Amino acid sequence: MPGPLDGVRVVEIAEGVAGPYTAMSLADAGADVVKIEPPTGDRSRGWSPLMDGGDAPLFETLNRNKRGIVLDWSSQSDVDSARRLLAQADVAVVDKFGLPPELSWERLNAAGLVYCAISGFGPQGPWADRPASEIGTQMASEATSSLGNLGEPPVRHGSDIGSVFAANNAIQAICAALYARDDSDPANPTGGQRVEVSLFGSLIAMRSTLWVALSNPDEWWGFHLDSYVKPPDHGYQCRDLPIYFSLARIRGRGFESLIDELGMDWAREHPDYDRLRTDGAGGAGRYAAELKPLWERGFAHFDADQVIEIVERHGGWAFPMHDYERLSSDPQVEAVGAIIDVEQANGTVMRQVAPPWDFEGTPVSMTMRPAPRLGEHQAEVLETS
Amino acid sequence: MPGPLDGVRVFDLTLWMVGPWASTQLGALGADVIHIEQPAVDPRTLGAGVPPTIDGTSIGYMTWNQNKRGLFLDLKSPTDRQTAYELLQTCDVFLINMRPGAAERMGVGYEQVKAVNPDIIYTAITGWGEVGPMRDRPGADVQAQYFTGFWSVSGAEGGRPEVYRHMAQIDATTGNVAAQAVLMGLLARKRTGEGQRIHVGMLRAGMALQSGRIAEYLSSGELHQPQGSAAFATAPDQAFQCQWGDWIGVSVSSEDEWRRFAAVMRESEAEAEGINDLATDPRWNTNHDRVARRSELAAILQAGFVQRPRHYWMLRLSAAGIPCGYPISFETLQHHAQAIENQYLREVETSAWGKVWTGGAPWEFSDTPARWFGACLPGEHTGEILDELAARKATTDEPAPVVGD
Repeated sequence: MPGPLDGVRVVEIAEGVAGPYTAMSLADAGADVVKIEPPTGDRSRGWSPLMDGGDAPLFETLNRNKRGIVLDWSSQSDVDSARRLLAQADVAVVDKFGLPPELSWERLNAAGLVYCAISGFGPQGPWADRPASEIGTQMASEATSSLGNLGEPPVRHGSDIGSVFAANNAIQAICAALYARDDSDPANPTGGQRVEVSLFGSLIAMRSTLWVALSNPDEWWGFHLDSYVKPPDHGYQCRDLPIYFSLARIRGRGFESLIDELGMDWAREHPDYDRLRTDGAGGAGRYAAELKPLWERGFAHFDADQVIEIVERHGGWAFPMHDYERLSSDPQVEAVGAIIDVEQANGTVMRQVAPPWDFEGTPVSMTMRPAPRLGEHQAEVLETS
Repeated sequence: MPGPLDGVRVFDLTLWMVGPWASTQLGALGADVIHIEQPAVDPRTLGAGVPPTIDGTSIGYMTWNQNKRGLFLDLKSPTDRQTAYELLQTCDVFLINMRPGAAERMGVGYEQVKAVNPDIIYTAITGWGEVGPMRDRPGADVQAQYFTGFWSVSGAEGGRPEVYRHMAQIDATTGNVAAQAVLMGLLARKRTGEGQRIHVGMLRAGMALQSGRIAEYLSSGELHQPQGSAAFATAPDQAFQCQWGDWIGVSVSSEDEWRRFAAVMRESEAEAEGINDLATDPRWNTNHDRVARRSELAAILQAGFVQRPRHYWMLRLSAAGIPCGYPISFETLQHHAQAIENQYLREVETSAWGKVWTGGAPWEFSDTPARWFGACLPGEHTGEILDELAARKATTDEPAPVVGD
């Protein structure tokens, strides 16, 4: 059965993460995506690490299910080809910079086209024309203040959060604009429009809870305020691995029994013992950072799995802190099918993260086509346009 | 001018953050979002009581329930449940984020809602999924950050990985993904005429956010080790300290950018070993080479950056089309033209808590603009919404909904 975006035709003129992620999601949901690359290819083909004899795993993932062609903006006939493709498309996903003026929204004059432009800093304002990147926008949106130590070198979030947040917003904007479009004549839709998203704007939107917290708080504490200026949080270290836990649900005798079983009798003599009981642990605890050494002294005698089992049995919550290795072999990840096999052109199988939605009426196919080789669908796409 | 979802109505049976964030987005896009709360709700439990508060109400509730109308309904009461079904007849979207089985117990499982309104886009959000050993476990942002490895790729160079200390990114990502799924469901209905049930979980949404990094691990078998401000896939792509101690973030992600970057460094006339030969030195031939010897390259560049003020580098790098940026704090962002002119950051009036700062709509639409307004009080629009329902009942032939248990 076709996915929810079956029949939607998308042209992508984008590189790296934000644009390609947007179009990947549309393709995963059933849209027909044609990716236009420059003669040198999408820059992310050459990002590290490189797979044996192939492109970067990030490129392979973010460009699955797409058809690919190469066009050179120094050639007028190639620009014309792009114009023709866009004129027939429902959606354009474009990186704003480096695009020939003829391919701007204003010049295309395509009545039914939803034209999504992605930029670093947004369409208005003094930085509208500045290119941007993850580290530049993570810094400018204050995101790097939630990592590292004050006064020490900045720390980025290691995932491409600005780009993927922007992509998630772009997908929303595209779908909303397609919904608002007039499709009463399916062959000639009208009411297309230009939509714009940016990395900077998306990062700021994601920190909204913090902005409200900073508006006029009754008091300064809790993980929306004091946590973000606290020192780095590495979780609660057990003998082998760190965990996260919370005692918020523990009632009655549960706490004393938990202390007994963890062999933490000594803590009862500690001046902070009452606080240990009421403040609990985890990011929400007001004195969590001060109390952490007490817990870690107790946990040092157990493996993470054991502490999780003990805390849970006493009515608390505890979770493992996975790295990608432990994540990818976790039974829950397997049960929900979060990692899928994608057969590559050379016959090898690559493992990738699955799309995040389950549509019961219009299910998304989990059988993916590999990312296109550079110019792989040149003839097929250009002959039919 | 109405927003793109003008005319769409959402039955918003959501709590805490993930679900409410999704419906906040739909409301901003122009949908009429009706947010349901229990009539006797204790104000201290709103937004899960997440601190801090403003005038005693959690800022969580205030952030996550913008762009909505508030309705009191007690789904345990037969009268209110009937009202819920009448309201559901007028809705396009049903949104819930509770553990599997909770909706059915409240009389609003998919089969029950479908009996009232077969065209509904019914969207259920869970923490860990609807199957598997963890399906019944509680799920919130903190747990999802830790479980999905979101914490494992950040940290000071050479140090242990650390948690992103603003705990809302997986919640909000899942909310965004759920809003996306609702929109795709509405689009499919536009084509097929049929409603459907959709599910989105935090585990898969949180992993999808990390698609690139996870694919890198799955292909290489190598775990990413924290490396401060530096990117894993590209180099140079990190923060450098400029004259007077200011930090600048600079990213070079293509060979063409590398050549332009090398020219800026050479033209700066900064004196540092190797800084004039970046474009020709075979050590830096390709991105792959530069990533492999990232620290060595960074040391050369750092020696150059520290010789000129940040303003110099921002000017020269921007002119050369090299992406760059620098840290900006909230107090500055509040007055920063780039944040304000795009309305990314804005101050809105709320029903009961005065003016608050908030992120605004992250999209700009040329023809159907998004909107943004402050949070409603729980149940604030109960009278108005019930009046609308009564007026509709008086003018429609549609029979009153009947739902078996």
